Amino acid sequence: MMIAKALAEEVLASAMSGGADFVELFGEITRNNSINMVDGKIDRVTDNLVSGVGIRAFLGTKTVFASTSDTSRAGLLKCARAVAAATGELRAVEKIILNERMFPNIHPAKVIPSSVDAKVRADLLRAGCFAAKEYNEAISQVSGTLLGVDHTILVANTEGLYTTDRHIRTRMAVSAVASAAGVNQSGFNGPGAGMGLEFFDLVNPVDIGREAARQAMVNLGADYCPAGTMTVAIENGFGGVIFHEACGHSLEATSVAIGASQMAGKLGQQIANPKVTAIDDGTIPSAWGSVNIDDEGHPTQKNILIENGILKSYMIDRLGSRRMGLPMTGNSRRQSYEYEPTSRMTNTYIDNGPDKNEDIIASIENGLYCKKMGGGSVNPLTGAFNFSVAEGYLVKNGKICEAVRGASLVGTGSEILQNIDMVGQNLERAQGMCGSSSGSIPTDVGQPLIRVSSITVGGR
Amino acid sequence: MIFEQMKNALVAAATEAGIEQYEIYYQVGESISAETLKDDISAFSSSVSGGICFRCIVDGKMGYASSELLTEDAMQELVKNAALNAACIDSEDEVFIFEGSPEYAKIEAGEVKLTDAVTIRDTALRLQKETYAQSDKVADGTQSVAMSSVGEVRLYNSHGLSLSNRTGMSGAYAAAVVRDGEEAQEAFDFAVGETFEDVKETAATAVRKALDKMGASVAPSGKYNVVFDGRQFRQFLSVFSSAFSAKNAQLGLSLLAGKEGEQVAASFINVVDDPMREGSPIKTPFDGEGVATARRAVIENGVLKTMLYDLTTAKKAGVTSTGNGQKGSYAAPVSIAPYNFGLMAGDCDFDTLLAKAGEGIYITECKGFHAGANAITGDFSIESAGFMIRDGKLAEPVKSFTVAGNFFSLIKDIDLLGNEVRWGIPGRTVFGAPDVLVRDMSVAGK
Repeated sequence: MMIAKALAEEVLASAMSGGADFVELFGEITRNNSINMVDGKIDRVTDNLVSGVGIRAFLGTKTVFASTSDTSRAGLLKCARAVAAATGELRAVEKIILNERMFPNIHPAKVIPSSVDAKVRADLLRAGCFAAKEYNEAISQVSGTLLGVDHTILVANTEGLYTTDRHIRTRMAVSAVASAAGVNQSGFNGPGAGMGLEFFDLVNPVDIGREAARQAMVNLGADYCPAGTMTVAIENGFGGVIFHEACGHSLEATSVAIGASQMAGKLGQQIANPKVTAIDDGTIPSAWGSVNIDDEGHPTQKNILIENGILKSYMIDRLGSRRMGLPMTGNSRRQSYEYEPTSRMTNTYIDNGPDKNEDIIASIENGLYCKKMGGGSVNPLTGAFNFSVAEGYLVKNGKICEAVRGASLVGTGSEILQNIDMVGQNLERAQGMCGSSSGSIPTDVGQPLIRVSSITVGGR
Repeated sequence: MIFEQMKNALVAAATEAGIEQYEIYYQVGESISAETLKDDISAFSSSVSGGICFRCIVDGKMGYASSELLTEDAMQELVKNAALNAACIDSEDEVFIFEGSPEYAKIEAGEVKLTDAVTIRDTALRLQKETYAQSDKVADGTQSVAMSSVGEVRLYNSHGLSLSNRTGMSGAYAAAVVRDGEEAQEAFDFAVGETFEDVKETAATAVRKALDKMGASVAPSGKYNVVFDGRQFRQFLSVFSSAFSAKNAQLGLSLLAGKEGEQVAASFINVVDDPMREGSPIKTPFDGEGVATARRAVIENGVLKTMLYDLTTAKKAGVTSTGNGQKGSYAAPVSIAPYNFGLMAGDCDFDTLLAKAGEGIYITECKGFHAGANAITGDFSIESAGFMIRDGKLAEPVKSFTVAGNFFSLIKDIDLLGNEVRWGIPGRTVFGAPDVLVRDMSVAGK
């Protein structure tokens, strides 16, 4: 164990001595193993060990936070005293008594990436990158990364909790560039899971590479997307980024609790089309965005955010819970000990709906079919969002026609939720990294094929 | 002290393993910040972090390993892992542990220190108070933050090269939320400096920008003359700076590859990278490989003068490194990036730019560059907001439209430049640009 129980008790008591009503200690040891390949050659292999603690004190809804990479006893106590001094006048505190607790591990990993020779891992990445390069002779460049993360956390707090969790993640990402006549087009594919290297028994690296190359080739043959307001069908998997950005961030207590969200005060209201049910579920076994416990030591859970269009729940961390007077939902997350945790998403998706996928396409007279989405961003206050379309096709008279490139979708969250008027039945999730105030964390997005009756498409 | 201890442990372990060429890179930082909500401090935080990276050449290949755990055992692990990692590399690019540059820029000897906690709290509170005082439409959700940080880098290698640099900065920002009936808008402004004198101006700017957005409608689609605020245009430099990396060029991932000496932009366009820029709180006399940095004209009068190089790409191209082999953090491998990368100013004041635009859009907000712009292809389609320009003057606010084009065409099509460079928030790289007028850009809205 990285910090013994007795030392954790001493550190918590010291941090409490400034008059806080609650203190939490978060410790972390993370091994990041990464291999990069470009131009057909392994060009970087790095190991990094992250090690440190973050101590946070609450006084009502005020917080004091300090972090340090010095995990010696002296370093921990110095950090604790800094927290106490910034909280208030020093005073005597009662002894803190911690009880060790184990939570069930529902995301077991069989092959820990860092335990496998880098040469073996490099061969997996080679298979993915070579498959992309060999896909077509127009593929001019391929780069790829194989990432292994072994993340162990300790959470102790003045309510007596003392627990640890270990979480293993594996991801391979391949980018392919297709070139012709001075034009470059790109494709990307980056699946991952909360598993060890056994992930590649389920997902073949060759398929990962081919998919990136396929996308690049489609875009190479595509013309610019026309601009305007259109009916749009958005495919499953990473298409779910639209819900993540347009709505998910606005349901985080981080912005809701201080009134800086378009969704504040709307519990129980019809905020989306009745066909929309949306869920955040941190308990999906071995999913990329799953964890056994959140970074405050609260077990993750399946939270129904929107049911038949009605707002049912926010995603709430401890601070948000105090501010809002609502229970915690197991959504408190942080990139590392250096960040204060806050409410974040885990695996967030729109659930299957009543419509047949073929009916959705057939219903569009003149519009856009977004087969793959790229990234996006949102302003939680106004709900204004943007997304790039990584692979898109025009739809004419109910049929998918020629590919178009360079499109983006812009709008606001409240609007698009009402405009999702058909929801299909092929729910699938995809992996991404989500950046916000508590850093960059792994999250899944997901949905079945959906139809948005009207949205602004940026193109030219 | 801890650095010397770890250095000795690493040198001993490397010697024991028979490793002759290696580099030790150490980075330590401290920061504090205070955040307000309503009229009180809602969060106060402080951090101390540091780590060491060991990299070495074994059989002509470079291996890396890094750790925040600074113990002698951990250092032995680093040496072992770095050597194992080197053995996996199959890139044939020549790699280097650098002997040292003849000289390094001297930094003016101002003492770099962390601003005290009392000043930081006080500044955040003052800024918050000023922000609320700007308008009765300022609403809860408004936040003000003040922060200060210091950092130190030390580099030591097997040639005996020993370098160090300390940097520090303080700053404050206000994120103002304004409400009027059902409508809410927000805007942000920041100030960098040690004295925090600009607090009032920062508050006023944030609130004014938020209020200006009230009542915006979706812009109609069409072709427009566009004036970009320099604070937005610099984001283009941020995204497309990777096209100036010699590494990307050599890999065929930059459309500027092979164009050194050619006209790539309008004849009055000058882009400069200046690691020691006057007024920048972060000055960098050496890069992540120990190479001395220097001011470089990257584009001069529209001609691409140089790409940005590290030692490996420079050797491949038969030139010398431009000192752009940066390390994003102690743990990151060397990668090519600029320091203070700016589009230099022209001579048009703002009113003249609007007058020359005649009819068009003034863009004051661009979002989602990470998704909407592609550095490899140059294509962009960016969510934007701003104001209509009618008859050469600012008119009503507009929002929720995209402006689209291709960066490599855009730099040829720039019509006029404003007369002041707007620099961004200091970080590893700071980008700067003046206001810019571009004609006939594609806008998609309603």
